[in-house]
Amino acid sequence: MTSIGTGYDLGNSIFSPDGRNFQVEYAVKAVENGGTSVGIRCKEGVVLAVEKVVASKLLKPGANKRIATVDRHLGVVYSGMVPDGRHFVDRARDEARAWRDTFKSPIPTADLASRMGGYMQAYTLYQSVRPFGITAIVGGFDSELESPVDGEVGQGPSVGAGGKAQDKDYGGPFLYMIEPSGLYWGYYGAATGKGRQAAKAELEKLDLNGDGAASLTLEQAVKEAARIIYVAHDDSKDKDFELEMSWISGTNGPTKGKHQEVPKALREEAERLAKKSLQDSDDEDDDKKEDDKMEE
Amino acid sequence: MFRNNYDNDSVTFSPQGRIFQVEYAAEAVKQGSVVVGITSKTHVVLVAVKRNAEELSSYQKKLFPIDEHVGIAIAGLTSDARVLSNFMKQQSLGHRLTYGRSMPVRSLVEMIGSKAQTNTQHYGKRPYGVGLLVAGVDESGPHLFEFQPSGMTEEMVAFAIGARSQMARTYLEKNLDKFASCGREELIAHGLKALKESLVQDKELTVENTSVAVAGAKSKDGGAKAEPFKVYDGQEVNAWIESVADEKEAAAGGESGEGMDVDA
Amino acid sequence: MDHRPQAWGRPRDDVYGAYDHSYLQQSGPKTATQSPVVTGTSVVAIKFKEGVVIAADNLASYGSLARFTDVKRLRTFLGTSVVGFGGDVSDMQWLDRHLKELAIDEAYDQEPTAESAEAAAKEGLNAANLYKYLQKLMYKRRNDFDPLWNQILIAGLDEDDKPFLASVDLRGTSFTSPSLATGFGAMLAQPIMRLHAATEEDAAKLTREQAVEVVKECMKVLYYRDARSLDRYSIAVVTKEGIDLKEDEQLEKQSWAFAERIKGYGTQTV
Repeated sequence: MTSIGTGYDLGNSIFSPDGRNFQVEYAVKAVENGGTSVGIRCKEGVVLAVEKVVASKLLKPGANKRIATVDRHLGVVYSGMVPDGRHFVDRARDEARAWRDTFKSPIPTADLASRMGGYMQAYTLYQSVRPFGITAIVGGFDSELESPVDGEVGQGPSVGAGGKAQDKDYGGPFLYMIEPSGLYWGYYGAATGKGRQAAKAELEKLDLNGDGAASLTLEQAVKEAARIIYVAHDDSKDKDFELEMSWISGTNGPTKGKHQEVPKALREEAERLAKKSLQDSDDEDDDKKEDDKMEE
Repeated sequence: MFRNNYDNDSVTFSPQGRIFQVEYAAEAVKQGSVVVGITSKTHVVLVAVKRNAEELSSYQKKLFPIDEHVGIAIAGLTSDARVLSNFMKQQSLGHRLTYGRSMPVRSLVEMIGSKAQTNTQHYGKRPYGVGLLVAGVDESGPHLFEFQPSGMTEEMVAFAIGARSQMARTYLEKNLDKFASCGREELIAHGLKALKESLVQDKELTVENTSVAVAGAKSKDGGAKAEPFKVYDGQEVNAWIESVADEKEAAAGGESGEGMDVDA
Repeated sequence: MDHRPQAWGRPRDDVYGAYDHSYLQQSGPKTATQSPVVTGTSVVAIKFKEGVVIAADNLASYGSLARFTDVKRLRTFLGTSVVGFGGDVSDMQWLDRHLKELAIDEAYDQEPTAESAEAAAKEGLNAANLYKYLQKLMYKRRNDFDPLWNQILIAGLDEDDKPFLASVDLRGTSFTSPSLATGFGAMLAQPIMRLHAATEEDAAKLTREQAVEVVKECMKVLYYRDARSLDRYSIAVVTKEGIDLKEDEQLEKQSWAFAERIKGYGTQTV
């Protein structure tokens, strides 16, 4: 690597002569070693999924969760250094709580992404800290209802609180991905970690922003997320893995606006379908898999 | 000679995205003597080998109670463990005082996880040089967690850390399926047998160097009360040591011992 | 006339008299809440065999003015406990937000291997834990000389799934009993409830229907006699199965015939 031996890569917040911050790039390397995370945003909600590589048989099955709830309507999943991810989640929860204290209402997903993007970026600015060794995917469903103020006791005037334009949509599903540099974008489908290349290729095949009838339902998105994690998993390199998935729907959907773990029955069904589709396409897919490996 | 420039502090990533200082801290855990923890559906046990610096000195304690329902086993820098132990005691007691219940073990463990993570992200700090097994019972039953200097915490069915602990882990993996239904005494016996796997050639478990700790969950139907976390040392562990010693001899005789004492 | 710039725009001392500085004290001790402002009246609750019934009317008074008539004074916690508030309504709103944050925090720590979200909630903070927490909170605030001006009833189940009912007030005073009432209810409703459940053993014999009936009767008596009460009320039943909360109930079978017989007050001449 060109960075090594130059001395410009030995401290955080140092620019190299060609304008790069190598420590941030190295942090990205830590992410690329972590289990694959995927987020899918469809019209009805958001699905988060993660491949948890089982490093030891002695781990308690199903007990070590990697997808975290940040507020009732918000979930976070991350790839990379797990303790860094925990720190990120702690901070996100603090932000969500502070927002509630100030505005008496839940934090919009976009604002949380912005706050956390700013937080990650701050860790690239100083020599006294190191960047986060994670890329985080933040999913949320901002309430489409006229949401009550926290602590509200009555209905107020029966003619309505006002302040909302008619025929305009409020709230909805949102998905963001935040990188170690603090950079973040909104996504229809996001993937990070070891298997991101394969996962991205699969995500691009889905109809996620379509207004047409073909666009994915939330339940289909759950099944696609499971399949994509299975596709992205590299049998030859890694041992066993556990699939963990969560979802967030609108008020009228299955989770009633809350971020929840995907029910066991649905997850197992999704896994069954994922394994099946993997077997079916095994023969045809052989060449393509070789290509993916080349890219890694 | 090639010199590693990336291992001087915990705020520098190597080009591969590793933090060597944290990895070196994990090595310190392997310097400590071995500790083993196992859970069943009803109990959680910790067992440990204690070391003494010289013939005439006392043995360094390895198992510590934190609160009525939870305790730890340590491997690595004892003084770092004391910092974490004091912190855990404060948190656990504070929780008991404000809510009138035992602090969930997971919450407690995640707090030390966060505390340790901070030490790996700021210049001038160093990672803790100690690994812990945290054992406890709460409303949802018995739990065993492993804590690493990186701040990583994971819930385990059974685990061992410290010097030569790989041998103990191999034993645990081999017997993994038996643990869930084990009674209290059976579980302790498995713990001691795992411990023995990790001993150096001519070392034996004795009343001087062996510690055992147990905690039991209350039964869901309200029948059995919770058994508080308690550490057993000295003569208290004699019977347990003998029970596993006997078995080894029996096994040498050809039969593997099935007639284990089951907790009534 | 005082023409100094300092006096510009101020009421003239020669016309209005010197400014009374006691309205804006510059010195002396710092004071926080001295009295409640918008208030809710009684909360009543009684235990029965499988759970607790709790009720409070929907009125928030501003002094003697019936200011808000759709105020919900029963609040749920984690879907397993109900908190009923008497006293200052803005302090109640603060507490409600505070408890919501506590509930969100609590949900973070749910046991991941639990069978369901409901099962996980059962392993979370129960009514007895919540009571202990509110007790510490209220007592701390009173020691800071900044009390939350409320009397609170906590209804739910304890760690053994037994009915749980307790009270905490603005002074941090706390106790439990088979039946409890705050405010006027402590004088008017409590004796009625004691007729049905004087002891824990009595309460354990009550059925759900009986307990609801007793509470409804209490709400009626309170409406007859408490001038700061309302005939629209909220009622909740907490059991193992969860919370059955109704927030817009109407007092039934009112009979004001007794009013005819009240003599000796106001402008009556006979």
